[in-house]
Amino acid sequence: MRRLRITAVNVLQAIANGYEYGFDIIDQTGLPSGTVYPALSRLERDGLVRSAWEDEAAAHAEGRPARRYYRVTAPGARALSESASFYRALLAVRPRAAGKATRSTR
Amino acid sequence: MKRLCDGWLRLVSPVVPHDIRRDWLREWRAEIAFVAAQSSRAGLGLPVGAVWRAVGALPHAVWLRCDRWRFDMIAQDVKYAVRSLWKRPGFAAVTLLTLGIGIGANAAIFGAVRAVVLRPLPFPDPDSVVTLSTTTTTRPGLPGGSTSPPDFLDWRRDSRSFTEMAASVAEASAITGDGPAEQVPNAHVTGGFFNVLGVPALYGRTLQPGDDPINADDVAVLGHSLWMRRFNGRPGVVGTLVTVDGSPRRIVGVMPAGFSYPLRAEIYLPQRFAEKDIIGQRGAQYLDVIARFKPGVTFTAAQSEMRTYARTLAAQYPRTNGNRTVTLFGVRDALVGSVRTAMFFLLGAVGFVLLIVCVNVANLFLTRALGRQREFAVRAALGASRARLVRGLLVESAIVGGAGGAVGLLFAAWLTAIIAGLDQGLGIPLLDQTRVDGVVVVFTAGVSLLTAIMFGTLPALHTSAKLDLAGRIRADAVTTTGDPHKQRVRSALVILETAIAVVLLVGAGLLARSFASMTSVPLGFAGDNLQTFSVSFPPPKYPSSGSRTTFADTLLERAAALPQVESASAIFGLPLTDLSYAISFASLDGRRLTREDARRPMVQVRLVAPKYFSTMGIPIRRGRSLDATDRAGAALAVVINETAAKEIWPDADPIGHEFSLGTPLGLQGPIAGGRVVGVAGDVRDFGPVTVSKPTVYLSFAQFPLNYLTVVLRTRGAPATVVEPARALLKDLDPDLPMFEVRSMTQLSSNVVAQPRLYLLLLALFAGAAMLLAAIGIYGVLSHTVSQRTREIGIRLALGAAPGQVVSSVVAQASALSFVGLVVGLLIAAAAGRFVQGLLFGVKPIDTVTYVAVAGGLAVVSLVASWLPARRASRIDPVAALKHD
Repeated sequence: MRRLRITAVNVLQAIANGYEYGFDIIDQTGLPSGTVYPALSRLERDGLVRSAWEDEAAAHAEGRPARRYYRVTAPGARALSESASFYRALLAVRPRAAGKATRSTR
Repeated sequence: MKRLCDGWLRLVSPVVPHDIRRDWLREWRAEIAFVAAQSSRAGLGLPVGAVWRAVGALPHAVWLRCDRWRFDMIAQDVKYAVRSLWKRPGFAAVTLLTLGIGIGANAAIFGAVRAVVLRPLPFPDPDSVVTLSTTTTTRPGLPGGSTSPPDFLDWRRDSRSFTEMAASVAEASAITGDGPAEQVPNAHVTGGFFNVLGVPALYGRTLQPGDDPINADDVAVLGHSLWMRRFNGRPGVVGTLVTVDGSPRRIVGVMPAGFSYPLRAEIYLPQRFAEKDIIGQRGAQYLDVIARFKPGVTFTAAQSEMRTYARTLAAQYPRTNGNRTVTLFGVRDALVGSVRTAMFFLLGAVGFVLLIVCVNVANLFLTRALGRQREFAVRAALGASRARLVRGLLVESAIVGGAGGAVGLLFAAWLTAIIAGLDQGLGIPLLDQTRVDGVVVVFTAGVSLLTAIMFGTLPALHTSAKLDLAGRIRADAVTTTGDPHKQRVRSALVILETAIAVVLLVGAGLLARSFASMTSVPLGFAGDNLQTFSVSFPPPKYPSSGSRTTFADTLLERAAALPQVESASAIFGLPLTDLSYAISFASLDGRRLTREDARRPMVQVRLVAPKYFSTMGIPIRRGRSLDATDRAGAALAVVINETAAKEIWPDADPIGHEFSLGTPLGLQGPIAGGRVVGVAGDVRDFGPVTVSKPTVYLSFAQFPLNYLTVVLRTRGAPATVVEPARALLKDLDPDLPMFEVRSMTQLSSNVVAQPRLYLLLLALFAGAAMLLAAIGIYGVLSHTVSQRTREIGIRLALGAAPGQVVSSVVAQASALSFVGLVVGLLIAAAAGRFVQGLLFGVKPIDTVTYVAVAGGLAVVSLVASWLPARRASRIDPVAALKHD
């Protein structure tokens, strides 16, 4: 399994934590939209997340179109835990350098 | 705000691969709508953050597209493009050649502009170095004003804005001993000069303030070119002696290559001021002053400091400094001056040529794409997406653009060598520094990319716009006149081309007319068969005025005896060489004139030997010429020119009047001036463009300066006399170099060398543009004719005369070129005022030029339409109808 980039871990972690819409992930991670969306598309291409459309009726009730949400797949969850433990190990070696990344994934 | 976001998304959406575009759009819209719904519930508009977030849609779209385009696919495109170009070598060759010429010409001209106007001057922090010009308060913006020694010394002592200030005087020195006598351009500089410029010596040291005192050692610093030429680049030359103007000087340093300031100086000598220079010469302006700003000092601050100081000096010395002030100029402005406009004008013109090249290549691509409709349709039917086809075309144009750039670079390297080798006499400073450097290569690459985008995108979009699969595959889809929309685009391109060509033609026409009127101005002397050369008398060897006069007399006497020579004379201040003194009258007919005197004439002073006017073929209008009787000791005699006669004595006969200039000319000479004995015809001393100025001719024997230009009227070609004269000079004094060896014909040609170069280049550009436009017209017409084969066949079958067919084709050409002509003339008229400064004797909107261009264009469009028209008239109706 290829190791995920820190951005991908970040996004994947946000989805795993239950932030499943594009803009919510942006809010959560603090990354710019031009980074998050390509990362999402990439994760989906690699089969680590899958997307679906939210219930039309619920959206219409709020007077807006249905949003697309993302879910972590089983390979995605595995990749996340492997990569996260790698970065955590890295963190143990160079705590100051990786400190910022931990803060935002929490 | 929401609408704005939506528009943006729509704009970006074509980048997204087709199959996922709907979902992409839906997702982005939904997110924006969600934020909008939330904020409207809170009673707010769409927050700026969300709008900013929508910008991220572009990288997302690009990512999705790139993800689809794998490297191997691009490689495939490249392979395919190369193969399809290879299949049509004619198309590829024409395109590459056209592009190569267009791009190469642009790169070369850009290289020249960069060398002259853009590249930083070869010393550290050149923006902090300025020249300080003494200017008049009435025209403070006029560059090039020199400064008097006392003013310079006061500025240097009292100004606070500069780390250092220095002065220089550019002259020429004779170098003798160790090889032939040679006259080289020098610079006399004060000690701070090299510190202001910040350039250290290559070997030894530069001149320093310690060299300034009048009794310091006689030293010299060699310029790189003189060191290489005369001393074979030996570092050991430092510390040895060199004979400069007859006296030995110790060489203390050698400057590095590329350093030449003032321009062309080859040897640097200390400029020293004697006590009397400082006291009595506040009116003698001959120093060029440069200075370097202290860190943090702005141009404006330094300028205002110096202006204030100039007012102090004016109050203190009203007689000399009353109407003077100081103006700062960047060193580059002082060097380049008026050439800047011309350089950018040429860059603009050559840019137009490139634009035409792009249009033409776009046209070629378009034609080619039209021919490939079927191929595209087949590929699309086999599953190629539209994006894929567009990408293929873009890759193709990128390849052509890149190859064109490479050809262009080769062409540019060749042109650059020519430009850098152009005669220095052209007077475009720094032009010899033109070379293909990194920036020029980057420029070329950028231009190639830009042209590729310009000529590649349009046809690509066009091709993909409507892919009517079934229709295209069926071969019988050849319509009668072709797709009218595509025809329109191509016609628009041709009109654009024609318009640009017209603009360039008008420019070339105006320059040609201006050049013609320039060269038809009579210069006032009989220019054929006149050879000139200069001699300068080093003071140590020719200390007295008597020794100089004797030498000049002997030289002229023996020169006149040469079999090739009809008549010999000499002058200080030869016409067309920019050399003469401009001095104001100090008294007129015994009456002293003051600064306030409105009628105080300012005249150009030239010194002539006997028979000067007859040798040059300048007519004497009244009185007599200066002759051998006007010697030292005799009454001072003066010949004036007609302009001086008209301006100084408008209502009276000038003969017999007396004036004085108030200053001596030369060492220990009498005060210049004298009694007017004759009036000579006007000479355009400063070239055809400048009207004659009031001039007085004094007798050289009465004011023998240490520099003289010999003028020989020859029996045969002027050049034949050069070697006999050189031998004669060597015989008289082997240490006197013969320099500035030029015929008057060469000089007259030099003064118009710049306009001639501009004319030549622009004519070349305009010619190329016209040719390209003609090819464009031809292309469109032949395409139309081949598309209309069937229609024309029917017409002919129904009894139309071939003449009617011809005229219908020619009419189409005429319509195209007429519209192009009108558009072009309008642009030319609007742009006219920008070229006004480059014109002489012709207005920017010149009827003759405009009519000539219109006529020329009509002929060209007829010629371009001739072949297609003939082909149309020869269509065999039977064959045409059986076409399918």
